Amino acid sequence: MPTWLAVLASRIGGLVRAGRHDRDFDREVESHLNLLTEDYIRRGLSATEARREAILRFGGPVQIKEQQHERRSLPLVETTLQDIRYGGRALRKSPAYSLVAIATLAIGIGAGTAVFSVAGAVLLRPLPYRAPDELVRIFETNPLRRWTRNIAAPANYADWRTRNKSFTGIGAYEQFNTNGSGAGDLFLTGFGEPQALKGLGVSGNLFAVLGANPLLGRTFTEEEQWEGRSRVAVLSFGLWQSAFGGDPSIVGRTITLSGRGYDVVGVMPRTFFFPGRDVQLWIPFGYTHELVTTARRPHWLGVVARRRPGISFEQARDDMTAIARDLEKQYPDTNTQMGVHLEPLHESYASGPRTALLMLSGAVGLLFLIVCANIANLQLSRGVSRTRELAIRRALGAGRSRILRQLLTESIVLSVAGGSIGFVLAALARIVVTRYASSAIPLFAVVQTDRTVLFFALGLSLIAPLVFGIVPALRTSRSEQVSDRSETASRETGRLRDVLVATEVALSIVLAVGAVLLMRSLTYLQDVDPGFTKEHAISFTMTLPSARYADPAARYRAFADIERRLGELPGVQSVGATSTLALRGFTWTGDTTIEGRSSIDYERDTRHMSTTPGYFGAMGIRLLAGRTFEAGDTRDKPPVTVINESLARRYFRGLSDAAIVGKRLAFGRPQDNSPWVTIVGVVADEKQDGLDRPAEPTEYSSVAQRMQNPLTFVVRTTVAPEAAFAGARAQVAGVDKDLALTQTATLEDVVDGSMSDARFRTTLLAAFAGIALFLAALGIYGVLAYFVSQRGREMGIRLALGARPAALFRLVVGQGLRPVAAGAAIGLAGAVAVTTLMQSLLFGVTPVDLAAYAVATAVLAAVALAACTMPALRATRVDPLVALRED
Amino acid sequence: MGETRSDILQGTLDLMVLQTLDAMGPLHGYGIARRIEQISEDVLQLNQGTIYASLLRLQQRRWISASWGTSDNNRKAKFYAITKTGRKQLAAQAQNWERISAVMMRMLRLAQR
Repeated sequence: MPTWLAVLASRIGGLVRAGRHDRDFDREVESHLNLLTEDYIRRGLSATEARREAILRFGGPVQIKEQQHERRSLPLVETTLQDIRYGGRALRKSPAYSLVAIATLAIGIGAGTAVFSVAGAVLLRPLPYRAPDELVRIFETNPLRRWTRNIAAPANYADWRTRNKSFTGIGAYEQFNTNGSGAGDLFLTGFGEPQALKGLGVSGNLFAVLGANPLLGRTFTEEEQWEGRSRVAVLSFGLWQSAFGGDPSIVGRTITLSGRGYDVVGVMPRTFFFPGRDVQLWIPFGYTHELVTTARRPHWLGVVARRRPGISFEQARDDMTAIARDLEKQYPDTNTQMGVHLEPLHESYASGPRTALLMLSGAVGLLFLIVCANIANLQLSRGVSRTRELAIRRALGAGRSRILRQLLTESIVLSVAGGSIGFVLAALARIVVTRYASSAIPLFAVVQTDRTVLFFALGLSLIAPLVFGIVPALRTSRSEQVSDRSETASRETGRLRDVLVATEVALSIVLAVGAVLLMRSLTYLQDVDPGFTKEHAISFTMTLPSARYADPAARYRAFADIERRLGELPGVQSVGATSTLALRGFTWTGDTTIEGRSSIDYERDTRHMSTTPGYFGAMGIRLLAGRTFEAGDTRDKPPVTVINESLARRYFRGLSDAAIVGKRLAFGRPQDNSPWVTIVGVVADEKQDGLDRPAEPTEYSSVAQRMQNPLTFVVRTTVAPEAAFAGARAQVAGVDKDLALTQTATLEDVVDGSMSDARFRTTLLAAFAGIALFLAALGIYGVLAYFVSQRGREMGIRLALGARPAALFRLVVGQGLRPVAAGAAIGLAGAVAVTTLMQSLLFGVTPVDLAAYAVATAVLAAVALAACTMPALRATRVDPLVALRED
Repeated sequence: MGETRSDILQGTLDLMVLQTLDAMGPLHGYGIARRIEQISEDVLQLNQGTIYASLLRLQQRRWISASWGTSDNNRKAKFYAITKTGRKQLAAQAQNWERISAVMMRMLRLAQR
């Protein structure tokens, strides 16, 4: 052991056993003195003289014991421990102050920690892949199509792989739906009840690119991505546990997924997920070489690449841009204006929730500052009442720095107590949020209360005292015994407290304005017409396993069977089915040619949906012109389509709905020579990407003419949802007992769910703003109560001299409202600057929405007045006699 | 902990204590103080209490160990003994001391001329 370490260890030991060591040394000194005394007695001195000589010779036993005590341990730590004990005692002596301060800190630190545990998990925690900083997402861009972050076409992906010089590997996964991770339903049979599983088709090299090693077995090989070799599966840890009981022998066995056999080759570790936590198993996508080399449209692959060591992000981007430009020249037909956009993988994951989380982080930051200002305020008033105690300590020889240290230690005791409670509150909040508002947390984030979160809470607990404790401690430690009661000192303290109140008011009005803006946005959002009737309807998704329902005719028969049986349920008014339910995005898009236009003129990115004839009725989508589908629109009849209003307005400018009916479209570009499809009807838009986003041009085909799988059924019924789902399950099992219902939700849930993020952040910000206003009110109240208690005598005299109580009331309220007005002015100006940052979270209101500012100001004014009233009333009730007798 | 003049003196005392314990075997504080005074032929008259600062320092460095025992005249006393690391330190520091004192002597002689 190095010497310094031995000394440190010994001193720390001394800290713990200080008392024992002191007694031990007392005995040793005593024995030394006895020996010396005996020596002197032998030399002929009397016992008393010998003892005196011995003490002289030894040299001040008391000082030596004192010095020895300090050398034995760590004096700084020891006095700090003393201060902590002392601080604890002082806090216990004024429980009201301590409780308020600790509760306030618990709220401030708790809210901060809770938001951090989510924001940190989403924005900061590294992804569970090897060297995650090297991973990038590659998107396709196309200004003609307003694509900024689009998924890639397989053939482009294949060319990127062979031509790039920047990546050690480029992996891909199927991403059909813009709203989810792209995982589709696979049905596991043969292990108890049939289960719908989220499976994801991936390239053979994906796991290698991610640098993810399996827990058991292996991941895929390059060759397994091709058709014929691809019947293998890798399981997620969660699925392995839930469906196979964590049995390691599952590796090497064959499981049946949607009627096909897959060999389980590996199980991933618990921490692994890709791309979201909802994906339960991975299978190679099993394409043919031909598909991968020729399909330059449509686009359906998510692409992830790993940068070569030494290649910067910018170099990789330039490399890819050059490749895209070459492809543009080589394939002008499909790749004109097709560019690339690269993003670090983590950034691309976190891009959605980033703004909301940054806003919440900023909000709790403000709340934290308000908490600190509030406690500083409390401490200032407490400092005044403690001057006597501190004066005594000074008189006993404590220096200013010693007192300063003691006051700060007290603040830290307070803060750590509040922080501990705050940490527990944050842990509880985390449990509540993950259980009841899980949709507010992105699928990739692991929100947990771990060591990092604990350190964060501890860090806040230690920073807080520096923020709120320094100024009051400086002020209090400075006050001299005599001058502390003087007018100047109390006036200075009063001014400082006014500044603190103004700060609190300014910060809380920023939060209040933000909260009101979000609340108004949410109200507007709730008032948006989704384009369908959400009441009294349930929905669920059905996937027909392609192994058993191979051809479109078989699928059509099964779906038609299900639809018919659902219609037979009691209470059912109408039934329909669609390929993509409203508010769930879209499944696929393509180009559209309009009859009669020039051969180079076509429309881009039309959304395609297939529905049954009953769909529009079941949803309650309004028919604007023509008709919807009929039973007669079958495969052998001329193809027909129903278009939405957006398509009508965008593709047929200036034509009325009635005039559009009868016109013809072709799905594809002019040179594709696709068959003409007749528009038979125009329907109102149903919202697709969210209530806050306009519907895109969409054409509906009849499932009879253009089959899609899966389909989502909508059942309009008078029966309660649980009973309706039970009935639907029974009817589906009657058609095929191996089919399972997925994504079961009432249409009200669907609409509600689309607003859950907005509601979550609104609720949180409103709560923060409410707490902030409450704290500001406490601050105002505290300052005024202090003002009244200081000037009580003056009030009494004024009353005695005939002042009207109303005038005194106004005086006090005016005193209280001065810092409020100043703070509000600063806060409103600050709000203008801050709320522009949350533009993207607003709907229907602008960041400088006057009504929101007015409401926030009115609420603040009401709260401030309420806080002023009680002290002001007290001022008018001062008994002149009592006031004069004081002091 | 800065290097001050008293530190150097303390270092000297530490070396004396180590040497004493090495030569005499386990001793109590009083015995060590007496021994140092005797050897110095009472040139060095210490406040005997100061020896304890040195003893604590040496203990904290684990160069000496301490335990309660009984003295010759049957009194309870705390006895100190040099440890193995202590002996190594003693050897190193004694050598160092000799070198420095030799240099000092030369310097002083030269200065006299």
